[in-house]
Amino acid sequence: MTAGGYFGQALIVDAGTGASAALPLPDEVLRAYIGGSGLGAWLLHELGTPGADALDATAPLAFVFSPLVGTPLTTSAKFAVVAKSPLTGMLTDALASSQFAIAGKLTGHDAIVIRGRATELAVLLVDGGQTRLLPARHLAAMTAAETDAKLRHDLGRGWRVAAIGPAGERGVRYATISHDGRHAGRGGLGAVMGAKNLKAIAVRSAAKVATADPASVLRAARDLRERSFGPATAKYRELGTLANLLTFNAISALPTRNFQAASFDGAGRLAQQPPDETVEGMRRVARSSCASCTIGCEHIYRVGRGKKARVEYENVFALGPMCGVSDPDAVLSASARCDELGIDTISAGGTIAWAMECAQRDLIDAPWLRFGDPAALLRVLDEIGTRGTPLGVLLGEGSRQASRTVGGDSASFAPHVKGLEMPGYEPRTLHAMALGLAVNARGADHNRSGAYEADLSGDLDRLGGGDAHVVAAIETEDRAAIMDSLILCKFLRGVFTDPFGEWAALLASVTGWDVTDSELRATARRIVLAKRVYNIREGWQPSDDWLPDRLLNEPLTLPSGRVATLTAERLRAMIDAYYQKRGLDLAGRPLPGIADEGLAVGHG
Amino acid sequence: MAITAGVVLAGGRSSRMGTPKAALEWHGSTLLRRTAGILARVTNGPVVVVRAPGQDLPPLPEGTLITDDPREGKGPVQGIAAGLAALRGRADIAFISSTDMPFLHPAFARRVLRVLEDSETTDVALPLARGFRQPLAAAYRVSLAEAAERLVAEDRLRPAFLFGQCTVETLDDAALKQDPVLGALDPDLDSVLNVNTLADYQAARARPAPEVTVQLFGTLAKAGGQSGPHAVRAATVGDAAGALGLLLDRHVTAALNGDQITRDSETPLATGDTVLFLSADAGG
Repeated sequence: MTAGGYFGQALIVDAGTGASAALPLPDEVLRAYIGGSGLGAWLLHELGTPGADALDATAPLAFVFSPLVGTPLTTSAKFAVVAKSPLTGMLTDALASSQFAIAGKLTGHDAIVIRGRATELAVLLVDGGQTRLLPARHLAAMTAAETDAKLRHDLGRGWRVAAIGPAGERGVRYATISHDGRHAGRGGLGAVMGAKNLKAIAVRSAAKVATADPASVLRAARDLRERSFGPATAKYRELGTLANLLTFNAISALPTRNFQAASFDGAGRLAQQPPDETVEGMRRVARSSCASCTIGCEHIYRVGRGKKARVEYENVFALGPMCGVSDPDAVLSASARCDELGIDTISAGGTIAWAMECAQRDLIDAPWLRFGDPAALLRVLDEIGTRGTPLGVLLGEGSRQASRTVGGDSASFAPHVKGLEMPGYEPRTLHAMALGLAVNARGADHNRSGAYEADLSGDLDRLGGGDAHVVAAIETEDRAAIMDSLILCKFLRGVFTDPFGEWAALLASVTGWDVTDSELRATARRIVLAKRVYNIREGWQPSDDWLPDRLLNEPLTLPSGRVATLTAERLRAMIDAYYQKRGLDLAGRPLPGIADEGLAVGHG
Repeated sequence: MAITAGVVLAGGRSSRMGTPKAALEWHGSTLLRRTAGILARVTNGPVVVVRAPGQDLPPLPEGTLITDDPREGKGPVQGIAAGLAALRGRADIAFISSTDMPFLHPAFARRVLRVLEDSETTDVALPLARGFRQPLAAAYRVSLAEAAERLVAEDRLRPAFLFGQCTVETLDDAALKQDPVLGALDPDLDSVLNVNTLADYQAARARPAPEVTVQLFGTLAKAGGQSGPHAVRAATVGDAAGALGLLLDRHVTAALNGDQITRDSETPLATGDTVLFLSADAGG
């Protein structure tokens, strides 16, 4: 009997024909990998052809749901999109929240996996267990939002849509998949979908799913809802993540001008202005929330009477300080343009910042592409999104591949790990985060490793990376593995005082399993290991667990006079300790027996 | 990069004070807690407290090392020897301080330490401040431990004997104040004022707490990004928080001068400091 919260099957769709078949998901697999990010890693192991290119027709693109989707638990309307990343060549798993998660799961499947390639641009319809392709030539070059609106109008009530924008169609390697204005943003999943000639996937509910102990789930939902109104979520509710901008600027953790500085003199212009201020700047005009969420972290901003846009710290960091741009109108416009094109703001900002530095050093012939120039930022975004110029094509490959093409010493300041551009956390002043970024399976990623929490906690010296930082990085990575598999929003993480114990209780009441905190800790380690083993299979090398040279060779002097330096020796020592604690050898590969022991469940 | 450490000599008989100086209160903290905290702020290695055998110490910052002075009553060279010996293999340079200097400014210790950090040949950076040599507000190479121990064994207990065996750079008032930060924040070099008598102590207590600047970020700022700067008088991070009605709990941390992040309300403050109070949930 299938556990509560699950259907016990994935839908495997051939995008070439529109045909589909159910793949049974045994109970022991679901218990071992839960859902979302974890189950996605298992599906890639099982269904991916080893060594196949991320944009190959055979490459699986998995929309993975979780046992909590459809329950009244706050923030649970989430899903993971999992595939081999065309940007990194390794696993990527982007999470997003919307009604698509609920409708997708209630097609009667714990995951929808797409392989193959349609002969022409198409929309995949999943109506319960029925699948078919619709021609979509009329949707070509539309934004994801336009596609969503058009399809929902044409298909009628009940349909939920995930779509790509023009960048995904054109193979920009950091294109996103979008739905209800939210993005599965990182790693280029939109390019994977574009390579399948799929403009969109539309899903409609056809089933119901029961939980093992509905009364207990309801009690937990009420309790969690109450806690979601408390101080642990106040920042997200009251301010949004944009509040990080001034904080990070004040503590020299705000990457600026392609990591040439850690604070930005224009940060104040990009911060939200208090209601009684009349100076120019971003003003919050509305707040909303994802489906099934009581936090409400979405803050809508505008500049003057200009265009409204949903703003978060990462897109402001990447398109503002990282590119040296302090004009709030330009940053909002650039952010909105990324949404329209369907590209990841972090990779876009990082790649553009790298290109600005290349132009500054005469490594590329684009003298107009200068740090701090709003018009240049908007122009180059269009060139990338449309792949309309040689420069746009080059930068659409991401900073790692572009630096290989440009050559010189440009690789030394290309801001990526494993090909994924760096988020807005300065590793030289956040040493636990430095380790988290270096070893993470997805690349430079702040969602699968939240080690910055330890750096900002006051519990350790953020400038003196050592054993305590390793322990903290592992703990946050493990917590993320569970939250991203259950799936619960990480903005909720602060409300849990006994995270693994409380998550085990939630999972038990939904599924009926006698799951414990120690089992969940083992599950977390398994999921982290599964991603590493997948990456190794796809060509990961020890040198991939590393940071850009600039971060190891160029110290920062803080306003206090203290020098923040992250040397290669310090990073090496932390990585070695991480490997040892994770049961890996000195080269970062699982010790004999570890991989088999950890991953054996469910593998044929 | 040299590893720098702090040594606080907490032993001594405090005979003129009549009570152990280490535990004397100053603006809500103790002299020892304050001195150890100031040195922890300016060094990248450990802080060692040298105490008399069996001496009770007031609470210290987490991670502070404690070493016993094996032969009480031998004076400062014995304390210097014990402190440096405790740092063997742990640090290269140490700022050595007595426990009774409530106005010791981080910029003073930083200025003195920098002499040894920038030199390969100098063994001691010795302030000649306010007209007196200041061997207990000076920087020493840890490698001097052996020489200091030998002098103690020979009962040659004046610091001058140690200085006669190594290379010393003396820093007079002008040299000290060449550091613009020190010159601005401690123009009278009150850093070296110590309290030896009850009258000294009463005078020190009568002086106000340092003037510091406080800024609030994140949800603490309410309006959205940042609140302040606010000028307040506070000798500790906890006092600075209290001055604005904040409590340092799991949801609030403090960044000193944009640098070290702490929840320790006892962290000492000095004139000119900026304390940034952050929501503990900073980050995505």
